[in-house]
Amino acid sequence: MFRYFVCFFALTCFSFLGYANDNHSDFREEQNLYGKIYNAPLGIVGNNKVSSVEELYNQKPLIIALVFTRCYGICNPFLLQLSENIKHLQSNSDFNILVISFDPRDNLQDMTNLSKQYGLENNLQWNFAITDSIDAFINSIGFIPKWDSVIKQFDHDALLVGVNEKGLITKNLLGIRIVEDVHKMISSINNVFTPSYRLPTKSNIFSCFNYDPKTQTNRPGLGLLFVALPAIITFLIVTIIVIKSKRTVS
Amino acid sequence: MQQHSIMLFFMLLVGIGTIFFVSIFMSSLKADNDSTGVKNLLKKRFWFTLILIVVLGIFAAATLPKSPYFTYANETPSTVIHVGTMQFSFFLSTKPIDPKSPSGETIEIPHDQLVEFRVTSFDVNHGFAVYDPSMRLITQVQAMPGYVNNLRYKFTEPGEYHIFCLEFCGTGHPVMQTTFKVI
Amino acid sequence: MNIDSLKLKKISALWIIVILVLFIASIVLGILMRLNQGKVIEQSPLTFYTNMTTHGLTMIGIWFAAGMVAVNYLLQRYVKTSYGVNLFAFILTVIGVVMLWVTTYAGKFSTGWTFLYPLPFRDLGSESWSTPLFLISLTILGVGWLVWSVSLMAQIFKKYTLAQAFAWQHFKSNPTVETPPFILITTVTLVGVIASLIAAVIVIVLYFAEYFSHGDFVNDALLMKNLIYFFGHTIANEMLYLGLAVIYEIFGEVSDRPKWKMTWYISLAWNCAMVFILTAFFHHLYMDFVQPQALQIVGQLVSYLASIPSAAVTVFSIVAAVYGVKVRWSIVNLLFFLGVAGWVIGGLGAVIDATISNNIMLHNTLWVPAHFHTYNAMGNVLFSIGFFYWFSTQYVDKLVLSKLTKYTLTLLIVGGIGFLMAFYVAGANSIPRRYSTYPVELTSGPYLAKVGALFATIYLIAILIFFYNIAKRCFVILSASSR
Ligand code: HEM
Ligand SMILES: [Cu+2]
Repeated sequence: MFRYFVCFFALTCFSFLGYANDNHSDFREEQNLYGKIYNAPLGIVGNNKVSSVEELYNQKPLIIALVFTRCYGICNPFLLQLSENIKHLQSNSDFNILVISFDPRDNLQDMTNLSKQYGLENNLQWNFAITDSIDAFINSIGFIPKWDSVIKQFDHDALLVGVNEKGLITKNLLGIRIVEDVHKMISSINNVFTPSYRLPTKSNIFSCFNYDPKTQTNRPGLGLLFVALPAIITFLIVTIIVIKSKRTVS
Repeated sequence: MQQHSIMLFFMLLVGIGTIFFVSIFMSSLKADNDSTGVKNLLKKRFWFTLILIVVLGIFAAATLPKSPYFTYANETPSTVIHVGTMQFSFFLSTKPIDPKSPSGETIEIPHDQLVEFRVTSFDVNHGFAVYDPSMRLITQVQAMPGYVNNLRYKFTEPGEYHIFCLEFCGTGHPVMQTTFKVI
Repeated sequence: MNIDSLKLKKISALWIIVILVLFIASIVLGILMRLNQGKVIEQSPLTFYTNMTTHGLTMIGIWFAAGMVAVNYLLQRYVKTSYGVNLFAFILTVIGVVMLWVTTYAGKFSTGWTFLYPLPFRDLGSESWSTPLFLISLTILGVGWLVWSVSLMAQIFKKYTLAQAFAWQHFKSNPTVETPPFILITTVTLVGVIASLIAAVIVIVLYFAEYFSHGDFVNDALLMKNLIYFFGHTIANEMLYLGLAVIYEIFGEVSDRPKWKMTWYISLAWNCAMVFILTAFFHHLYMDFVQPQALQIVGQLVSYLASIPSAAVTVFSIVAAVYGVKVRWSIVNLLFFLGVAGWVIGGLGAVIDATISNNIMLHNTLWVPAHFHTYNAMGNVLFSIGFFYWFSTQYVDKLVLSKLTKYTLTLLIVGGIGFLMAFYVAGANSIPRRYSTYPVELTSGPYLAKVGALFATIYLIAILIFFYNIAKRCFVILSASSR
């Protein structure tokens, strides 16, 4: 018996590790889901064939990043993380990316410079664009940047919007996110139904499964060990009893 | 009316079972000292088992694809209804619900359109069960704290629908309910 | 008579009296619940839910214990069992049950018998001390039963090797040693019992961890639900298997028929049952879409599979023992036979509910209590009461089928069927389970509850007569001296 108590004790201590894992997920991500994105006319860097959002999402589902070029804050790390994430995807052909400025001061030249900064000016998957109806566009998303006239900066969220090929918003991601979340967004814009997802909590370490959108399967998490634990311990008990009783017989 | 067919089917099975057991019992009352009982038991057992496996296999194959995780999976919903649950009330809203100050709104859903309920709980486990205007349970999902469950459904009949909590959540459990309209 | 077996008989007689007294008290609670749902009496929701929690926990506890008592008693035929452990389990069970009733009635603890996380931490209306006391009382019961199960298992393995205890040698032709079916079923069942009790221990540890961390550590609701149903579902099923072990052992001798022999297919069936039963609990989480779909599908398939060994082997064995041959019918084997019929019918209701596409209409409606009461109140309870009769009469009295017994059996059947039908019909009418009173829109709820209460009272009358007959004889056993 002693052995099992040690085992339990170890696991209990282990369970106190269940802190951390601070995620930026937020209930505001649920905004305007399945709403239609506003069909804004676009000026796209190095691309004269496409002139509106609709033409873009008709080609392929779309991930939209909202930025402005004079940003001192989150826009740069945000774009950097996004481009890194996209680079690490195994198959990244089933969607396009639209980086659009919500700052009326930005012109095509500003956006060209931005694309060069990330070495993406010749990448056909990436579209850096401006529009003259930015208000209607961000309204359809529910994105509200606030102008701070003292520091001459927008106070805004880092927001990724996923749009399927019908122009419906299927998922939002707030903040700088890991590649798994981008995977989830790509599944959703390709109309893959996920019956459920978890909200960020303190105890992620304990969840039975971690959803892996890459393979669209659930990878066993630490929690699964706990579900299997009764069977494992029983197996151990039976083994020990059998071994012990052999000893007494001989 | 799936429940009616379930009940009918069950009563049929119960009838067969009862006849089976009663006739076996009667046969033993009728038997005398020389009766030998069942012959070729192993063979009969084999056939019985085989038939049982086949029947259950057919059942599984027929019912599994109808599981709620697969229905409407290939369509895009036209609306999302966010559902927050709390001891002992439901919040339904077309906008995301802030767990810190949850609030709901009156919901009207157009008929024949796919809706997606995104159901979660802010405290204990609750149930989210939709009853049609004739008070028949038509679909349900659990509301679990820390998780969001997506339930899709297409309402065909306009009318007033009730929602009841179907997971025991404390003393107020039976009064936890709300309604919405399908137009 | 030898002193050891007299001691075992006395403790068994004591167990039986306590179990039956608690059974009657719990039935009264059940009838009170039905009356309240039928608006015949008016109790506060809190009272209703403390009754419900007490009823559920007590019923599960006593019928598990009843199965263990019977198995322990009959195991003495093959191996030596420990009287001390049996007594220890008895004492801990009594302490645990008393503490449970204190937490529910003095502490107003009312989370239902499944104490689903995190309800015990947000149980409105209960005393703050009731949650830790509840966990402690569960710990006491769990320790008592775990020690008991492990001890019985250890005794089995002292005589039988691993392969023999699980009857694996029967897969080969002409095995040299025959494992009695009783030993196989007991071993298989004890494995499941131990696994479910360990799941309970893990749940309790996780609850305590959160309780003492004052909010620093929070459990995962999905994990807790899985573990709780691992425990709850498994123990509720294993206690039926304990009853079946008893039938395999004594059905033949009370019926004047040959004893059931071990064969390869009995061995195969029970070995499969042992595995299936440990994963069938997934069917309790069908409506939790967060549970991965693979597990949901495994849940349905395994629930189906679990019915095959029982139907093809156990039901077939009892049919073979009865069909077309002269059987000496007595109250004991009649109860066994009836119990098997109830078990099968309850099983049909369960398989229907274990189908995911039906479950969405039936989950947490009264269909659930309907089917589990069928194989408990009209199944397992009858197995155990049959054993109690056999036990109490084997030295004291002769088994005869009197007129009174026939009437009592009729009452039991009529009462049982009426009580259960009220549940089934309500379930098919979408009436939720665990509602202290029904919303006005659900019109058939109160009406069916009244019907249920009426028939449950008839069932209770039959049980009271059985209790009188059994307890009377058990008191004789208790007062017997060794000479
Ligand atoms: C005639 C005897 C019985 C009566 C009248 C009775 C009555 C009831 C009632 C009214 C409920 C609540 C149903 C609801 O959810 O609305 C209930 C629940 C329950 N009963 Fe019984 N019952 C009886 C026998 C048994 C037996 C023999 C068992 C054996 C295991 C049992 C175990 C349970 C359990 C586990 C619950 C669930 C409690 C919960 O939901 O937490 N009952 N019973
Ligand atoms: Cu509730």
